[in-house]
Amino acid sequence: MSITTTDHDDAHGQDDGAHGDDHGHGPVVEGAENPGGPHETGYKRDQKERLMLWLLIGGDLLFLVLEVFTWFYLRTLNTSGLWNGAQCTTASPCTDGLGNPITSPIAKADPKHAIIIACLSILAAAFVWMSELAAKKGSAKRSVAGWAGIALVFMLAAVAWQIYQFQVLPFTTIDGAYASTYEFFMGSTLAHLILMAFVGTGLWIRAGKGRYQGGTWYRVRLIRFFAVWIAVSTTVLVVVAALFY
Amino acid sequence: MTTAVAPPLLEDTKLGPKAGGFYRRQNIWTGLGFGIFLGFVAWVVSHATIQGSNWGSDMVVTCTMLGWVIGFNVGMGTFNAPIRWMLGHDQTHEDELYAAGVSQGSSRYFKFCTDHKVVGTQYLVLVMVLFAVGGTLAMMIRTQLITAHSSFLDPQTYNAIVTVHGMVMIIATIIMVSGPFANFIMPIMIGAKDMAFPRLNAMSFWVVFSAVPCLLATFFLGGVNAGWTTYAPLSVQAPPAMDAFAMTIIVFVVSVTVAGVNTIVTVATMRAKGMTMGRLPIFTWGSVVGGALGLYAMPAFLVVMTMMITDRATGTSFFVPEMGGSQWLWENIFWIMGHPEVYVILIPPVAAVLEIASTFARKPVFGYKVAIAGFIAIASLSIMVWAHHMFTTGWAPNLAGPFMITTELISIPTGIIFLCTIGTLWRGSIWTRLPMYFVYLFIWNFIIGGVTGIYLSDVPADQFFHGDMFVTAHFHYTLLGGAMIGATAAVCYWFPKVTGRMLNERIGKVAFWTIALGIQVTYFGQFWEGFQGMARRIAQYNPQFQTANQMSTIGAYILMTGWIIFLYMMLNAWRRGKIAPANPWHAKTLEWKVPTPVPLENFVVDPVVTSDPYTYGEGVPDGQVVPEFAPTKEPELVPAGSAASGEPTATGGTN
Ligand code: HEM
Ligand SMILES: [Cu+2]
Repeated sequence: MSITTTDHDDAHGQDDGAHGDDHGHGPVVEGAENPGGPHETGYKRDQKERLMLWLLIGGDLLFLVLEVFTWFYLRTLNTSGLWNGAQCTTASPCTDGLGNPITSPIAKADPKHAIIIACLSILAAAFVWMSELAAKKGSAKRSVAGWAGIALVFMLAAVAWQIYQFQVLPFTTIDGAYASTYEFFMGSTLAHLILMAFVGTGLWIRAGKGRYQGGTWYRVRLIRFFAVWIAVSTTVLVVVAALFY
Repeated sequence: MTTAVAPPLLEDTKLGPKAGGFYRRQNIWTGLGFGIFLGFVAWVVSHATIQGSNWGSDMVVTCTMLGWVIGFNVGMGTFNAPIRWMLGHDQTHEDELYAAGVSQGSSRYFKFCTDHKVVGTQYLVLVMVLFAVGGTLAMMIRTQLITAHSSFLDPQTYNAIVTVHGMVMIIATIIMVSGPFANFIMPIMIGAKDMAFPRLNAMSFWVVFSAVPCLLATFFLGGVNAGWTTYAPLSVQAPPAMDAFAMTIIVFVVSVTVAGVNTIVTVATMRAKGMTMGRLPIFTWGSVVGGALGLYAMPAFLVVMTMMITDRATGTSFFVPEMGGSQWLWENIFWIMGHPEVYVILIPPVAAVLEIASTFARKPVFGYKVAIAGFIAIASLSIMVWAHHMFTTGWAPNLAGPFMITTELISIPTGIIFLCTIGTLWRGSIWTRLPMYFVYLFIWNFIIGGVTGIYLSDVPADQFFHGDMFVTAHFHYTLLGGAMIGATAAVCYWFPKVTGRMLNERIGKVAFWTIALGIQVTYFGQFWEGFQGMARRIAQYNPQFQTANQMSTIGAYILMTGWIIFLYMMLNAWRRGKIAPANPWHAKTLEWKVPTPVPLENFVVDPVVTSDPYTYGEGVPDGQVVPEFAPTKEPELVPAGSAASGEPTATGGTN
């Protein structure tokens, strides 16, 4: 392989990892350092992280597809009549995970909760988007952080509601495949929402420090992609769970 | 060629007393300490609150393992950067230089170090340890099977050993090339200063590191007696060891996922000027396709193992038919992961083999673009063949035909890659050094592995072969004989770059012939057992299988001897081998154009690529063999910025 060399005299620092800093570009807000170095603009870093995010979302999409596959597969098989126990009666009982008889169908979970959670995640994504637009317009950091703060409230509310839903389910994990898969959906949603809330907290704090001023709005866009994905995947699970008892 | 004034070495940067923040105090000891502490806390708390309730011990094991993994990574520093990001306290340039290992000498190998070369070396050592563990377990299996009714191991222990042997080897082979070489070598090959996400890179290593103790813990938790495929219902009924086993995989999935993403992003965005996609060395392509396929396979592994834990520890019924579940669910999702995964293992070493063949035949990779297309075709097809593992399970008999056809289709791109390897060697002036020996062995073994795979993909033949030792022999020929021997070639090839030392090829050839013979004897023995109809994973067998088993066991001892010699050669060379020149094989790719040891950030002057990767024949009359390199004196280890050998280097000049 032939190469030529170009001279330049600067050997600069490491790239940032999973979560970049924002001061490769525009005014440096905190500290004088510039980890991105002169060659890697913040935008270049953002490009890399965008690709990373799409790949991770791709993986998460497969996770989602397999969850939904599980739902429909077990529902179709209805092994031992215990998808949701529709035909369990006193005359011909089914058995739960502890060997006790189940004599009536497993109650359907109230879709209200799931719908509320999906709405909260959609609102969270919307407000992240508002925050991005504010940053893009060059609004004051108070407004960027303000929208981010509202988004964070919705994220935390979604987490709280998902935890709450575990308390009010009409079934437990031992009540057959419908109950199992439903709770698995909830657990997976909860995990995603917690991750979202972590990122949302970062967005809020950083916006408050003015990290998205000065032309680095695209860093918020990255978070918006993630927030929208979380909203989409949460909604998909809710729709499946609500419509296909 | 311009001669640049050597800029100051990054390694010599003076860092402030606070550079690195928490990293300053974190290393493997704080990791282990905190991991054990948090694991213990998790155990105490869960034991006090959950033990005694339904599935109590499963919960306790799960929590304890989770505590260990989180604690270890907190102690290592895996979470420093994300948390600092969240708090808006980004790492400074100095912090990052510290994390990259500046002025920490060899202690950086025991830290959360972001330098891709350190991570690559850490992976190399981990892989060697894993192979040693897995190999020891294999020898116990073969020793048990030396006579028909041996009582060397009791059946429960035997099953546990078979399971952990399988999974240790699967983990080790998945990371054996993508860990050391896609990390150490690949970024240099494409002219990058590091991976795209150095911290994710360090994370991928320490996360997989923390998974290993979970797997070994299974021996102390009753043992997993279900085989590496942990089919339900065996796995649902297994002792609490199964929870630790599933946790191992969940943690491993995180590591492989971030590593795969990192590889792809690195190649997509970090190439040097002029390094177009069509100029990427073939190994780079192999790493990318392998990484992408891993990204496809890992979510399935995560789903299925998480469901396994919830079945065992919370009473869900995904895999329990009496309660509405299905074992077919397990088998489907497992193999949706499992078959792509064998190609995640195979593709990177095959790409390394092509790279090596090109260097030593002093010819470009034959059918470079065809080979790339072959990799992509293999990857795409491999996600459509999973049910060939389920022909005899009764699942969807109508689909057996289609799955047989897709499986057989895969042998076409596989054959094409094969032709590319042979075409590369064809009429080359082959310089047969140690790496080439292993390339030849790869070719031999992989033919046998591939052809027997076609037997297995035949539905009627598989009715006979499924579940017997023929399958075991098939996948050892592909995994050990093919992938792992390819990786061994890669080790021999890149060892001088990674360690700065030359291997002793005289010892290497002894190791080579022993290994080559050992593989044939061991696995021909197993084909024979398979033809006779001996089931796999059994501790005792009918006396009519004894001769074949003895053949296999003798082969295994030969094989073990070979690996020990090989290991001796490696360790010996690592400590006191001849100092390697920067480019001992006169190879053309970029990693050979930087000095050894490779400086931090690899290139002090950005390289600009102006030609294809394999420009053999330039400067050497056609057909003439390049004289064998024999160092007359130890080349000095020259710092970056000047050159290490007489060759032009990417670091700014010739000497
Ligand atoms: C020409 C290509 C190949 C074909 C047609 C093929 C076909 C098959 C089939 C049909 C089986 C199932 C046998 C059974 O359980 O009854 C099988 C098992 C297996 N193959 Fe292959 N194979 C091929 C290449 C490979 C390669 C390249 C690898 C690994 C690098 C591999 C690894 C395995 C493993 C690990 C198993 C056994 C899994 C288990 O049950 O524990 N195969 N192969
Ligand atoms: Cu397969």
